[in-house]
Amino acid sequence: MAMGGGGGTDKAVSDINVTPLIDVLLVLLIIFMVIVPIAPHGLNTLIPQPPKDKSNPPPDNDRTIVVQVLGDGSGGHVSYKINDDDFAKTALEAKLAEIFSTRSEKVMFVKGTKDVDYGKVAEVIDMGHQADVDNIGLITPRVEAGQ
Amino acid sequence: MGINKRDEGKKVNSNINVTPMVDVMLVLLIIFMVITPMLNNKVNVNLPVSAAATIQDDANKEDSVQVAVTKDGQTYLGVNPIALDDLGSKVSGLLQNKADSDKKVFMRADSRANYGKVMDAVDEIRAAGVSNLVLLTDKKEQ
Repeated sequence: MAMGGGGGTDKAVSDINVTPLIDVLLVLLIIFMVIVPIAPHGLNTLIPQPPKDKSNPPPDNDRTIVVQVLGDGSGGHVSYKINDDDFAKTALEAKLAEIFSTRSEKVMFVKGTKDVDYGKVAEVIDMGHQADVDNIGLITPRVEAGQ
Repeated sequence: MGINKRDEGKKVNSNINVTPMVDVMLVLLIIFMVITPMLNNKVNVNLPVSAAATIQDDANKEDSVQVAVTKDGQTYLGVNPIALDDLGSKVSGLLQNKADSDKKVFMRADSRANYGKVMDAVDEIRAAGVSNLVLLTDKKEQ
């Protein structure tokens, strides 16, 4: 209606100009959209503590699952074992899912040799979590030595 | 002159209105001034990528204990380089006022770090009486 009359151009606009406000808010929105995915993610693991009473060791449990990540010494090729059986990396996840689908105590241990990359071990821990394992224990040299 | 004046009144304003742009730029400037110190308080490592990682809100807390292992095997506590021998006592010092359930250590290790070095750090953390270790990773994009 203001455009209709010739006097429309003289009329003062009484609306607040919200364009700069919207500009600023959009930029804020975009910045926070970028920041949110940086929220830290992580894999929960446990480090077994030495038994308090050393004279009474826990009974050997043949149902314990230990996944081993073995390097060949040069750090290039890595092989995987579940307990004493060799597995290819691709078969590992399916095997873990199969083992833990029927178990109530979802515990596994991960052991790596010194020469492998940490990333390879992290992959195995990730596979364990994907197989719904609740407690993943890291076996380190001193855990093994029982110190 | 009178005619000229009338022409000036009809003249199109050819200047770009830069006010909104300046608004946006100033806001960007302020935001980056706020964010930059937040981003630099971490050791720069290439975290491994995982699909099953869960969100660890505690890792952003001011008093969280973060241990980092870089690709060349150097261990850091927070942002400061630390010798392996000192790590255990420092970590237990930082955690002594926390409840047992809060005794968590966050591990930021480079995906190409040697696992032997990572295990050495884990052993030291274990010696500090910590049994909950969180391996920080990057979430795999689905």
